[in-house]
Amino acid sequence: MKIHEKLLTHYLSCPSPVDKEGYLYKKRERNTSYHRRWFVLKGNLLFYQERPADRHLLGVIVLEGCIVQPNPPEGQFCFSLVFTGPGLRTYGLAADDCLGQESWVHALHSASHTCLSLLVKELGRLYEEAKRVSGESSQSPPVTEKGLNQSMATFNPGSSYSLQGKGTAMRDPRAYGGSHTLPAPLITIKTTNKRSPKLWPKRNALVTPLNGPAPTYGEWPLVGSDTLEDFSKLHEHYGDEVRQLRADWLRRKHEEEGHIEEDLIDLG
Amino acid sequence: MRFNEKELVSLSRQPSERAAELGMRGPKKGDVVKKRLVKLIVNFLFYFRTDEEEPVGALLLEQCRVEREDDLAFSIAFLDEAERKYLFECDTQEQCLDWIDSIIKASYEFMRKNLIFYRTEIHRLTGKDPLEQYGISDETRFQVNTGLPPLPAPPT
Repeated sequence: MKIHEKLLTHYLSCPSPVDKEGYLYKKRERNTSYHRRWFVLKGNLLFYQERPADRHLLGVIVLEGCIVQPNPPEGQFCFSLVFTGPGLRTYGLAADDCLGQESWVHALHSASHTCLSLLVKELGRLYEEAKRVSGESSQSPPVTEKGLNQSMATFNPGSSYSLQGKGTAMRDPRAYGGSHTLPAPLITIKTTNKRSPKLWPKRNALVTPLNGPAPTYGEWPLVGSDTLEDFSKLHEHYGDEVRQLRADWLRRKHEEEGHIEEDLIDLG
Repeated sequence: MRFNEKELVSLSRQPSERAAELGMRGPKKGDVVKKRLVKLIVNFLFYFRTDEEEPVGALLLEQCRVEREDDLAFSIAFLDEAERKYLFECDTQEQCLDWIDSIIKASYEFMRKNLIFYRTEIHRLTGKDPLEQYGISDETRFQVNTGLPPLPAPPT
């Protein structure tokens, strides 16, 4: 299958925000050693290269259909991208320290298109509710015809985002809500197609008028499933895994006081 | 450049946002229109030869321009090369418009912009940051730039 590499590299180099970048160790497919690589996460794509300044990209991992799992048995700061499905791969990765591991796991968890889509739908719903409550008239996301053509939106978040200086520090456990776990694999949410047929209003050849409002939320696809429930479930599941990871790390830290740790990653 | 081909092919077999048999023409001079099964899944446009299991190719739908070409056709231009376009021929005007809409809304960057808009507006209307409850309020991907009202710092 042809992947049109240029489109991927162009996306990487364009001014839209990089979601996360840094060094990680990547486990080789056929043996147990790790290579240190510079990873760049943008959207649902995880690129890697030897060094940050390199123009040559070694590869890309499309992050759809995978589960991110902290992986302490493998090594101390390890985690995996597990693609669910027959014959599909697991990518073994490792960070330099616990904070790195936690922040990468956190970023990769919420990187998929599916995840973002659920989140946007949920926020759209909250937005409509907030407007109703405040009594404001309808104002749609101001996407112009140009914006619809991907050049720029009038609501312009800016061409550069500053990376947050602080890492994702230990979060308040309350942020992850209740304690029930999601029994089924995450993939079931994505593959269940509960969408009702979409009804798009007819428009003229310009799709939307220049500088006019984008279709209101009500015109977006009606989803048969409860988006709040879906996203909360996803969120609970992610939260549980990260909480487990933290608990394990804290426990290990107490147990290993004074114990000199050996190198768990073979850098040779 | 390596990529997770098996996983991407597996993705192409998932339920799609939109799928149809369309006439498809490549961007190069001399390319002709060919019948392809076109499937829109997340921000990828997969295209298959009819009755084949594995897609011929996958187009990433970011940084592209989608335009109506005529009554029944639309084009997608990539890499800021406005003249190098992929052309798609539909059966009806409605189908053509539906595809244009879906492709535009499939972009990750489009969704990100909408999310930031909603987040800012909800905060403005309610005083609360809707992303806090998910513990992702300081994720870089959802940050608003300095031109807009600042959101409160997340709780420490």
